[in-house]
Amino acid sequence: MSTVAMEPILRHSHRKTAKIRINSGKIPPSSLNYTLRPLSNGKSFCNFRPHKPPLAITLRASSVSDTAVVETSKSADVFYEETFPVKRTEKVEGKISIGLESLKDKEDWRLTVGCNLPGKWILHWGVHYVGEVGSEWDQPPIEMRPPGSISIKDYAIETPLEKSSTSLEGDTFHKVKIDFNTKSSIAAINFVLKDEETGAWYQHRGRDFKVPLIDYPRDDDNMVGAKKGFGIWPGALGPLSNMLLKSEVPHSTGEDSSSYSREPNQQNRCLERFYEECSIVKEALVDNLLSVSVRRCQQTSKNLVYIETNVPGDVVVHWGVCKDESKKWEIPAEPYPAGTTVFKKKALRTLLQRKDGGHGSWGLFTLDEELVGFLFVLKLNENTWLNSMGNDFYIPLSNSSFLHTQLRQIQSEGQGQKGISKGEESGTPISGEGGEGNQAVSIYTEEIINEIRNLVSDISSETSRHTQSKEAQESILQEIEKLAAEAYSIFRSSIPTFSEEAILEAEVLKPPVIISSGTGSGFEILCQGFNWESNKSGRWYKELYEKAEKLSSLGFTVVWLPPPTESVSPEGYMPTDLYNLNSRYGSFDELKVLVSKFHEVGIKVLGDVVLNHRCAQFKNQNGVWNVFGGRLNWDDRAIVADDPHFQGRGNKSSGDNFHAAPNIDHSQEFVRRDLKEWLYWLRKEIGYDGWRLDFVRGFWGGYVKDYLDASEPYFALGEYWDSLSYTYGEMDHNQDAHRQRIIDWINATNGTAGAFDVTTKGILHSALERCEYWRLSDQKGKPPGVVGWWPSRAVTFIENHDTGSTQGHWRFPGGKEMQGYAYILTHPGTPTVFYDHIFSHYESEISQLISVRNRNKIQCRSTVQITKAERDVYAAMIDEKVAVKIGPGYYEPPNDSQKWSLAVEGNDYKVWEAS
Amino acid sequence: MEVSVMGSSQVKIGRSDLAYRDVGFCNFSSNNLNAKIFARNSKICFGQTIKCPPKSSIQFTLKASAAAQSEAVVSDKVSGNTRSNTIDGVRLYVGLPLETVSDCKTINHARAIAAGLKALKLLGVDGVELPVWWGIAEKESMGKYEWSGYLAVAEMVQKVGLKLHVSLCFHAAKEPKIPLPEWVSRIGELDSSIFFTDRSGQHYKECLSLAVDDLPVLDGKTPIQVYKEFCESFKASFSPFMGSTITGISIGLGPDGELRYPSHHHPAKGNNSHGVGEFQCYDKNILSCLKQHAETFGNPLWGLAGPHDAPNYDQLSISNTFFKENGGSWEIPYGDFFLSWYSSQLILHGDRLLSLAASTFNDSPITVSGKVPLMHSWYRTRSHPSELTAGFYNTVNRDGYEAVVKMFSRNSCKMILPGMDLSDEHQTNESFSSPESLLAQITTACRKNGVGVSGQNSLVSGAPMGFEKIKKNLLSENAVMDLFTYQRMGAYFFSPEHFPSFTEFIRSLNQPKLHSDDLPVDEKEAVDSLPAKDLHMQTA
Repeated sequence: MSTVAMEPILRHSHRKTAKIRINSGKIPPSSLNYTLRPLSNGKSFCNFRPHKPPLAITLRASSVSDTAVVETSKSADVFYEETFPVKRTEKVEGKISIGLESLKDKEDWRLTVGCNLPGKWILHWGVHYVGEVGSEWDQPPIEMRPPGSISIKDYAIETPLEKSSTSLEGDTFHKVKIDFNTKSSIAAINFVLKDEETGAWYQHRGRDFKVPLIDYPRDDDNMVGAKKGFGIWPGALGPLSNMLLKSEVPHSTGEDSSSYSREPNQQNRCLERFYEECSIVKEALVDNLLSVSVRRCQQTSKNLVYIETNVPGDVVVHWGVCKDESKKWEIPAEPYPAGTTVFKKKALRTLLQRKDGGHGSWGLFTLDEELVGFLFVLKLNENTWLNSMGNDFYIPLSNSSFLHTQLRQIQSEGQGQKGISKGEESGTPISGEGGEGNQAVSIYTEEIINEIRNLVSDISSETSRHTQSKEAQESILQEIEKLAAEAYSIFRSSIPTFSEEAILEAEVLKPPVIISSGTGSGFEILCQGFNWESNKSGRWYKELYEKAEKLSSLGFTVVWLPPPTESVSPEGYMPTDLYNLNSRYGSFDELKVLVSKFHEVGIKVLGDVVLNHRCAQFKNQNGVWNVFGGRLNWDDRAIVADDPHFQGRGNKSSGDNFHAAPNIDHSQEFVRRDLKEWLYWLRKEIGYDGWRLDFVRGFWGGYVKDYLDASEPYFALGEYWDSLSYTYGEMDHNQDAHRQRIIDWINATNGTAGAFDVTTKGILHSALERCEYWRLSDQKGKPPGVVGWWPSRAVTFIENHDTGSTQGHWRFPGGKEMQGYAYILTHPGTPTVFYDHIFSHYESEISQLISVRNRNKIQCRSTVQITKAERDVYAAMIDEKVAVKIGPGYYEPPNDSQKWSLAVEGNDYKVWEAS
Repeated sequence: MEVSVMGSSQVKIGRSDLAYRDVGFCNFSSNNLNAKIFARNSKICFGQTIKCPPKSSIQFTLKASAAAQSEAVVSDKVSGNTRSNTIDGVRLYVGLPLETVSDCKTINHARAIAAGLKALKLLGVDGVELPVWWGIAEKESMGKYEWSGYLAVAEMVQKVGLKLHVSLCFHAAKEPKIPLPEWVSRIGELDSSIFFTDRSGQHYKECLSLAVDDLPVLDGKTPIQVYKEFCESFKASFSPFMGSTITGISIGLGPDGELRYPSHHHPAKGNNSHGVGEFQCYDKNILSCLKQHAETFGNPLWGLAGPHDAPNYDQLSISNTFFKENGGSWEIPYGDFFLSWYSSQLILHGDRLLSLAASTFNDSPITVSGKVPLMHSWYRTRSHPSELTAGFYNTVNRDGYEAVVKMFSRNSCKMILPGMDLSDEHQTNESFSSPESLLAQITTACRKNGVGVSGQNSLVSGAPMGFEKIKKNLLSENAVMDLFTYQRMGAYFFSPEHFPSFTEFIRSLNQPKLHSDDLPVDEKEAVDSLPAKDLHMQTA
């Protein structure tokens, strides 16, 4: 009746499927990835490396459910047996080939671009006409476009590469041919290669591929075929030149292919055929299996845990046991399997034995029967760990705890915002940024789909799974919301009547170099350039003008200016006419002068924009203030319906209400259109580089994404400020729910904006005020704020115009500000320094901390390893280059591997640099 | 597999009645044991199924407190069936945009659709419906098919793990503009008699007249032959998906794919959109058919034209004398003669197409359906003029749907019915409309004849309280529906105004509404013929 598989643990079929996948080394096509924009920042473009590990995950979804079958063994002594599919990243190398050859006629030429990796390749290309100065990308003449081409706006063409199964190994080869005539006065063909499945773009040296044809100054190093006589096309040139050139051909991704002398005056040069290959690396997830079985040995009354996997190479099991249900890692009594080492007295490491025949490895662990569980993660190398959905693998060791709730989906890459656990190994990064942005979303979606599958099958055990399914449901709903928002924006953007969307669409479709993600370069250091009193003088812009150079010399790269619009309140947060930029801080012209001054000294400028609410200028017939004036003369349809004070006729608010003013209904098309136009105007007219978004709790993050897409800020961040969790007046150690809410908002914006790390500020308050420095490490040994989960989107701060200044709604513990700055200015995330603190007696200390940060190139994605988190002292190492301690307790960085020298010292804090 | 489970479960039930009581099996009463147990059983076991044997089997064992035998049976079942997500009850589909594929090679908004598919999958939707257009897949010339765009969609759907229902559309659409095949339009320009024609001689050019079904008007081939070849090419091209991803197809039966005459195609003038419509029996082929029929009938004068006293498109039923409430021509022998003939032509046409589809796909493990419109205007008058002009001879004196449903039953086809979102209270008074009663009439006929029903909503932008109404229809005691297709994905669908309520709708369907113990005890009829109605085990 039931098919019982006892040994080998892997059923043959399992092994077989897995093997097929690995041997073939192919990446199954995955056309369903959730990629909004091809790429988000230019710097990851180097040398054909896809921005993110792309994907192949999708296909899995369906097959995983087949392989994830868990078999119940009816045998008495094997009481646990489970097979986990394991995903890990594998790089697949391939080649992009570019060839130029002449056809029968001297004037007819053919450019062939090919790629030998599987994928849905699209050539995104345009031409540069002779004599055209401004635009490098133009549409080619019709006759040049191969069939199947689609024009993208008026500057590019997308042509799919056709599959041709040529090569010997049966690998598919994709190529596209473009024929052209030299008479068509085309100076160069520009292109990038796009993999439609993964959304990844492939460029040449971080720039577009450029094939120069005629009259083209050849001094760019992103050119291909720029070298004379580069042809190894059979028969093209003599054998000698072939030999000479060969060594240089294969990998032109190397350091420099332009060793060839540059001759800018090379006009009217004849076209020459060439053929060049560039290597390309695509990262793909590969499925492996991990199976675990537990058997009771009747003679010795011990449990035997058998682990087997087909992951190739050395696999180290990093493991521990737990003696109760707490899942706390402990080291069992000896003996251990051969070759086991003890790691930091907290875990054991055992190298699995290779199986005969090469594929995979196995290990056997003998454990005492009173142990409750076996915990482990797999370590493939220093940077690659495999765990179970962000948690450790947990194998129950007694029959009673059988109703375990393992999720069987394993990810080797970081889960971005979701946090990663690897037992006690808190410090080691798991490819820190791998999970960011689009990629994370995509993987995440896959996980959820799998999770759903599991849930479906798990319904039967209601009690144990009740809570879990609830959580899962919530994350599923969030995911659904995100996907829907994406689908919505695309569908809508192509409704012809909605022409205002043109900006948005153009932004999405432009070649990737130009796209800015709204999250800057990662090296930003912000200065809040005002306080609650700045409006008093009426000439703040002028006053700040005088300080611009100073701010620049201190090392700030971004300044956040006060809200610029006309406002009911002098501080600017009760805006009325959005287009009137004469405020208590100064006039429209003064603002423009100030902004250009900052630009002069190399500082970007953020505008403080209040989008949640707006004060009306007029009363309606009922005497309610809900009719707006100025250029955006909206009426009560622009106001949310669920605040009775203002009798709005819009829809219900998509967020919390700010009760002092009419809340704007962002679900109205005309409102969004007007706001987008306004932001765009601010960008152009004033020169703002980005936004600080006020009170974003008030409306859905998806709208923010819309606004950011339209206004393309260099940097944007939202103020999502709500209360931390307290129990009986004491702040909870675990603020995961709080930071999750901020993360959720960032997610809703699709990661286009960062957010103030209110969680970190709150935890610093408690830690410093009450001398509870242990709070600065979360359960997984990471920073406990947003910065621990999604550092590149966390904007850390300790004080602002609301919390401090003359308002003092939530003031940072007095006298301990420098400890706060020592923390945020050394840690990942983007730190913000408050104006009041800069121009105070803290100035020199802050300045020193900033220079330590800049000197060591610490940035928002730096890694942090917490080395101490005790009652009176917290210490951490950042990027292994900077060590910091705060608190009165004693700490010195260990001088064993590195030598440390003290860089900055102050009241209860010290910062060292590796020397 | 299922048989074996049923068999052994039965044995068990016989033995340990009490144990099963806990699980909710307690309601079987008498003569009907087998069928009932099967139905109940399917709720508990099959409904949840799958994939996680240790848990489900243990769980089952505990509850049933039965011996090893049942455990073995269950895990056997489970290990053999690792994949099925099919849950008994109503499956929920969502229609893809009409213009998903519009130039045969590319998918429009592929990224949006990809994201959308994922969202739907996460929501727990079972599948999607994809319109496949004649005018796109066989656009250029007869027999030259281009399926690549559609195949790509099928692949996308398969990857997300959704099911696919394909609608083969032999009609054109106005919005978005999807024409008939170019070569058909060219033929139509020369010979407009291949189109439906009204009394004033206007042609309806969005589908071929049913009168030419068997005439070799398309370059020597009959439309039926052309449709058949289209279906066959489709079947061959999509064979890898048949039965796995593609679970059903529906065949276009007329205007908008529906089995009807285009009686209401005239754009409404002014405010009145509730006109009765016009008879469409004025193209030369159908007229000659009418003539012949009248001669056979022995009254050749009746075969010269349609009713002379029928109102125009936009007029109300009281205008003119044909549909008059009392003593209208519809009640006199001529009226009966004409309406019988007019409606039988439609049924014959439906029969031709459904049997064509059924025979083409009979070796594929998929269901074949056709769509019947819900002509609900004027339903509360005696003469039901809207239905009459559309070709359904359904009046106060006569059930016009019985014959239609029998035709579906004969071909073992399922019926797609729109209007699940419409409720009487939101209809204007002057239209004498009653979507609810009409729906009830048709579904009753379907239940009687064992024809399965797939529901759809009618209004794209959402009827007032539409979701409530749909839910009511799905959960209704007499529901015969086992599939509901929500129309349709697009910008509005995902907009903040709409999507949250859709999500809410899906979630509320997924929440168990009734504990199995709360289900009425006596529902013999439903259990006998329709085990699929156990809605409380909704789509997971």
